[in-house]
Amino acid sequence: MRALLTAAALVASASVAHADKLDDIIASGTLRCAVVLDFPPMGFRDENNNPQGFDVDYCNDLAAALGVQSEIVETPFPERIPALMSGRVDVGVASTSDTLERAKTVGFSIPYFAFEMAVTSNDSSGVTSFESMKGKTVGAVAGTYEAIALEEQVNAWGEGEFRPYQTQADVFLALSQGQLDATVSTSTVAQANVKSGNYPGITVVGKAPFDTDYVALFTNREEYGFINYLNLFVNQQIRTGRYEELYAKWVGGDVPSLTVPNAYR
Amino acid sequence: MFSYTFQWKQAFARLPVMLEGAVVTIEIALLSMLIGIALAVLLTGFRLSGNRVLSGIAATWVEIARNTPALFQIYMAHFGLGSFGLHLSPYTSLLLGITFNNAGYLAENFRGALKAIPDTQTRAARSLGMTPVRAFGHVVLPQMLRIAFLPMTNQMVWAILMTSLGITVGMNTDLYGVTQDLNALTFRTFELFALAAVIFYLITKTVQIGARLVAARLFRY
Repeated sequence: MRALLTAAALVASASVAHADKLDDIIASGTLRCAVVLDFPPMGFRDENNNPQGFDVDYCNDLAAALGVQSEIVETPFPERIPALMSGRVDVGVASTSDTLERAKTVGFSIPYFAFEMAVTSNDSSGVTSFESMKGKTVGAVAGTYEAIALEEQVNAWGEGEFRPYQTQADVFLALSQGQLDATVSTSTVAQANVKSGNYPGITVVGKAPFDTDYVALFTNREEYGFINYLNLFVNQQIRTGRYEELYAKWVGGDVPSLTVPNAYR
Repeated sequence: MFSYTFQWKQAFARLPVMLEGAVVTIEIALLSMLIGIALAVLLTGFRLSGNRVLSGIAATWVEIARNTPALFQIYMAHFGLGSFGLHLSPYTSLLLGITFNNAGYLAENFRGALKAIPDTQTRAARSLGMTPVRAFGHVVLPQMLRIAFLPMTNQMVWAILMTSLGITVGMNTDLYGVTQDLNALTFRTFELFALAAVIFYLITKTVQIGARLVAARLFRY
């Protein structure tokens, strides 16, 4: 009897010890997603202050697949990692570029979205293309892929100035006021902000020749079980046509391929 | 729940860049204090002048500087003036915002210090034939600065910490801005900000201890 009890206790403790994040989410009944809500059309708030956008829908789909409730946790770009590490969120659905540098800290899924970069300029700045940004005052949202790439480019040009702002809204405000001559942002964000009419005097003038910015879901680096699930989920979203559907709903136009030619993953 | 492996080496590798940022932070804080003290003396003079317009200007300045967030003041220096077509660089906006704040608080410190100096001293100086400006400059001002010296140290510490608000206006060369940039690059949030916090602490502690030593030497009676 005692041996049986010990065995039962061992089994119980073993099953507790082996509960990983995936188990925790299923058990808790809630999936908490870090979503950036200052980044239309990926994440924003509608007139009733409800979270909307591609990332919001994506989080809801993931929660539905897991059979749990979804909870959108608004997370500005610089706070994605603290939010994850302090256990406030389970997964980041936050248009996060999967750089090798960052992958040393967090675990990325396969890409779930891909951005192309566009140059938007102030009409009186004389910037008409990526190259003509040389020597100008340019800016982007701190902590984003395009900000890192643009700052490197400004340093390489050796003239002009780079300014990171904390939110996409501040970048377009600064651009509209003429504090910035031009910005590089994802083309989806650029189109959405120019169209919004909130920022007069700015125009999308062309593409930025940066590599395609693949963005991935992320979670704790050691949560292989959950990362596996995320990979399969992203794959299924594409397989079932849901990716195209969401792309048409929020962005429109040609659906970018999420695979890299001549590579396995 | 906190599962995170600290990689201090990655943060320490960035220490030289962060220390360069710390120099910019100290530079801004010092400049904002020097200009702030000059402005505060001017504002205090305005208040004493008895001129309605001048003391009105001083009172408005002090009210706004002390009763609105420093973040708001810096944001207004950048985007507020920007909407009128006056475009200040992030550095200038931050310096202007903090200086504005410093001047307001220091003017209030100076007012308190003035109250500690008996009126009779001014009257005595005036009866010796000094002009009002001279009496203020030669008799009252030195005593006022002495009494307000330690509160000024507080303001200096505050100015150093306020430089971290520069990120809202696109500042990326000060300590906080540099740290935020590195964070975006590496996602080593905790190590980098812990390191930045230690640097901030060391700077402000040095200021405090330094000020105490200076005060002990200069203000012996």
